[in-house]
Amino acid sequence: MSSNWKKYLGVFVPLAIIVAAPLLLRDSDSQISSKNELRLEVITPHNEMIRREFGEAFTKWYQKETGKSVYVNWRTPGGTSEIKRVLDGAFEAAEERGSEGIGIDLFFGGGEYDFSSQARKKRFQKLTIFETHPDYFGEDKIPQTLGGEKYYDPDLTWVGTCLSSYGICYNTDSLTRRGLEPPTKWEDLGDPSYKKGIALADPTKSGSVAKAFEMLIQQQIHQELEAGTTREEAVSIGWTKGINLIQRITANAKYFTDSSAKPPRDVAQGNAAAAGMVIDFYGRSFNESLAKEDGSSRLQFTNPQGGSSISVDPVAILKGAPNFELAQDFVRFVLSTEGQMIWNGRPSEDELGPRYRGLRRLPIRRDLYQEPYLGMMTDPDVRPYEMANRFYYDSSLTGHLFTPLRNIIRVMCIDTHEEMKSAWLALIEAGFPEEATAAFFDVTPVNYEASATEIRPVLKSKDKVKAVQLANRLGKHFRTNYAKAERLAKESLR
Amino acid sequence: MNKKLAYTLTITVSLFFAVFFLYPAVMVLKEAFYAEGEGFTLGFVMEVFKNPVYVEGLWNAFLLGVTSTLASLFIAFPLALLGHRYDFAFKKSLSALILIPLVLPPFVGAVGVKQILGLQGALNAVLVKLGIIDVAAPIDWLGESRFMGIVIMNALHLYPILYMNVAASLSNIDPAMEQAAQNLGCPPWRRLMRITFPLCMPGIFAGGAIVFIWSFTELGVPLVFDFHRVAPVQVYDGIKDLGSNPFPYALVAIMLVISTAVFLISKGVLGRSKLGTAPRPKGRANEIKLKGITSWACALFFLAIFVISSLPHAGVVVLSLADDWYGSILPQAWTAAHYQEALSHPLVVPSIQNSLLYASGSTLIDLILGIAIAWVVVRSTIRGRVILDALVMLPLAVPGLVLAFGYLALSQEGRAFHFLVGAAEDPTTLLIIAYAVRRLPYVVRSAVAGLQQSNIALEEAAQSLGATPLRVLRRVSLPLLGANLIAGGILAFAFAMLEVSDSLILAQQSEHFPITKAIYSLLGMLGNGYELAAALGVWAMAFLAIAIIGAVVLGGKKGGLFRM
Repeated sequence: MSSNWKKYLGVFVPLAIIVAAPLLLRDSDSQISSKNELRLEVITPHNEMIRREFGEAFTKWYQKETGKSVYVNWRTPGGTSEIKRVLDGAFEAAEERGSEGIGIDLFFGGGEYDFSSQARKKRFQKLTIFETHPDYFGEDKIPQTLGGEKYYDPDLTWVGTCLSSYGICYNTDSLTRRGLEPPTKWEDLGDPSYKKGIALADPTKSGSVAKAFEMLIQQQIHQELEAGTTREEAVSIGWTKGINLIQRITANAKYFTDSSAKPPRDVAQGNAAAAGMVIDFYGRSFNESLAKEDGSSRLQFTNPQGGSSISVDPVAILKGAPNFELAQDFVRFVLSTEGQMIWNGRPSEDELGPRYRGLRRLPIRRDLYQEPYLGMMTDPDVRPYEMANRFYYDSSLTGHLFTPLRNIIRVMCIDTHEEMKSAWLALIEAGFPEEATAAFFDVTPVNYEASATEIRPVLKSKDKVKAVQLANRLGKHFRTNYAKAERLAKESLR
Repeated sequence: MNKKLAYTLTITVSLFFAVFFLYPAVMVLKEAFYAEGEGFTLGFVMEVFKNPVYVEGLWNAFLLGVTSTLASLFIAFPLALLGHRYDFAFKKSLSALILIPLVLPPFVGAVGVKQILGLQGALNAVLVKLGIIDVAAPIDWLGESRFMGIVIMNALHLYPILYMNVAASLSNIDPAMEQAAQNLGCPPWRRLMRITFPLCMPGIFAGGAIVFIWSFTELGVPLVFDFHRVAPVQVYDGIKDLGSNPFPYALVAIMLVISTAVFLISKGVLGRSKLGTAPRPKGRANEIKLKGITSWACALFFLAIFVISSLPHAGVVVLSLADDWYGSILPQAWTAAHYQEALSHPLVVPSIQNSLLYASGSTLIDLILGIAIAWVVVRSTIRGRVILDALVMLPLAVPGLVLAFGYLALSQEGRAFHFLVGAAEDPTTLLIIAYAVRRLPYVVRSAVAGLQQSNIALEEAAQSLGATPLRVLRRVSLPLLGANLIAGGILAFAFAMLEVSDSLILAQQSEHFPITKAIYSLLGMLGNGYELAAALGVWAMAFLAIAIIGAVVLGGKKGGLFRM
């Protein structure tokens, strides 16, 4: 009997200690849903820090404004592709049962691409902020477009709340080991010395990453235009050069990922990659968290020259929102000075800004990039509006090929990545012999004309069987060419 | 067995299974067979076979499945056999310890591996320190020979599944059989191959089928190695593609067919014990007490397997205590701050309560259904019982995301499963069912193996003495099945606690988050997100480790592992 007791004690005492630990450490301050009179339903891909800060700050603000208590109920099915699924499924079911809404008030965070495509499906309602606060909008506060990016919907159904862009992060130790200078522009990542050393975000899974890749192409077209080539030729040549640049960069890639935290983490640890493509606020915060006492940090972040455009994370009210007025209040709060300063204020109890941790994101309101606000920010040196002005995105050049481009990258770089990488390594080894290099970079079936006249119509037609056949045909072209390039390169060494 | 009861059970179980597995899976997979304007089509499936990239992906997945299963068996069988035959130093503790590698928390497990095996990882740091490699030319352990790497990782992670099933099987073998062979002069090696191995085939098949399907459909490990040309990764990539692409669903359909075929074929070849239902062991097997060096050698073997397979776990533990861990064997500085921050987070306590509720609820359902299914499959003679047996394995072969999307679509207001979530959209019941469906195979396999080995004569004797079927089950069959049910139950519970896909998609509101989603949420914190997630991951590992050891220690009437 006594040995049985010991056995039970031996199991249950450690178990009790384990279970008690979080109970004892629990933060009793956090809000509990049942205490509140109102409940706002928000679907979001934003991370836990942003949810916690905005949830608690809105509750406080609303209490002050109206005397009522509100609980923000975050719905987080994952990233934007999961949210798209949830919205599609819910609105489809709502339509079947003849109801307008899906029981969710707001969609908060994601990219312009996600919001524009939801807006096209007429799933948003008009925001009253444009009437109640016309002073927020205009060139000196929130412009409608900047550098070719939309900052709010022309039909006023969504509005940007903060700004972000893609940049390059790199590990100084890894670069030293490879004998490389720090990268300053996207082209640098296509250099053969970065072989097997780049961590890339996946353009097929995120609209904003795809946009960043489109920017690479636009940059090449702009360069052609600046060199005095006619528009027609510049577009055609620039497109091919851009696609070739994407080939070079992706050939150096270790992987493509849809996790924003993975590239900066892998680069910081020097594990998978020497450099990577990263959203600015991840780059900045990793840089700071690894900073040593002398201020140096092994992870550096840079906004590439001529770089990528600055885009927005919007907010919108969903059709049939159960708490329509409350949702409008939330939008009003997010764009208010209090709400905006949460994005980049220093964490503190009483000042403007977040309570727990710096979010390192950039407010959209341009008028806040001056004193006294600038002095309260964690990143006072970053001036997104000045950066955005440096680059101009011209949607008439490549906008209509946005979907084809994603598909091209998938068949040319992602599906065929194994063949591509081994051909690339063979080319490097052989010193890029002419014929082999030509085979590698042969992108005739996806040149500007083919993309517009052959690929786009198939993808637009919604005929999925044809789309799948097209993908197979293009995939075959690249596989064959990569194999040929590898063979020729190896033969040239004999 | 009573035929009427068998039919009733079969119909009930099949109904549950059809509603909660087939229906949502078909809902999603129909995309693979439907084209606008054309209706039903096999076009997408055909295109998969025309695309060498996908064919190679399927082939790689299949090879990974087969080799990982063999490698797991290679580790598990000697362990189980040693544990069965001999008594050696620290045997009890070591036998429980080697189950622990099974509980690797999601998301951070991969990070743990990279901390150890990455370019700047601990292993390279050790080799630099020993002067074996140059600091400027570290070895890319995860980048070179990725296939072998994945097989090794799979085997080291999954061998406990085989170990538990084989151990349960061995304990069901009548020692008289081996003794008879020995008396007749059969040498040990031959005895092993001709008597022991064939006799515990049901256990090997039970564990092997799960390990095969698991590694055939494994997503996480190939992703750690950046190995994308393997079907599950291709499915994952395709599902998340912004354009709606039917390819991933066609691939899943093909994977389902392959899994079923492999299961049925190997069941035909391996599944039945050649000796049918051998008599139950009459008393304890004659364990040989080892002394001296042999005793310590056995202990060392167990310990070595535990240590090697716990490297990823060690990576997570050290990471959770590290201030900055980069390019060195151990972190430059240690801290407990991540625990303070992670465990005090408001998400954590409710998520622990939720996870416990979801996991125990689903394990209970699995045990009830599992016993019922096993009884029908092994004891009844009704037609189609083999199909039922193969069907219940399918949840292992369907990617979590696919099933989760099915549940999501069906739980919308006005749809068939909405009553499960109700107006408050509380996914508790739905998650319990979803977890139960996905983990049912573990319990079914264990229970089937147990029933195959237990002697039907005992049940028949009870029946002929007038016991009702329920009483036979309660007083005879269940006690005989105990070890197998504990093995299956442990697997079902542990994997329910660590479930990812359904949890991420269906538990959308923070009040319903299970612990895996809390880990995922912490991961997104800027700066030290990975360390915070690792801290909560360690908590989950510690909890599950104690729970498993507890189940093993307290579960056996006499305290021995799988000896009831």
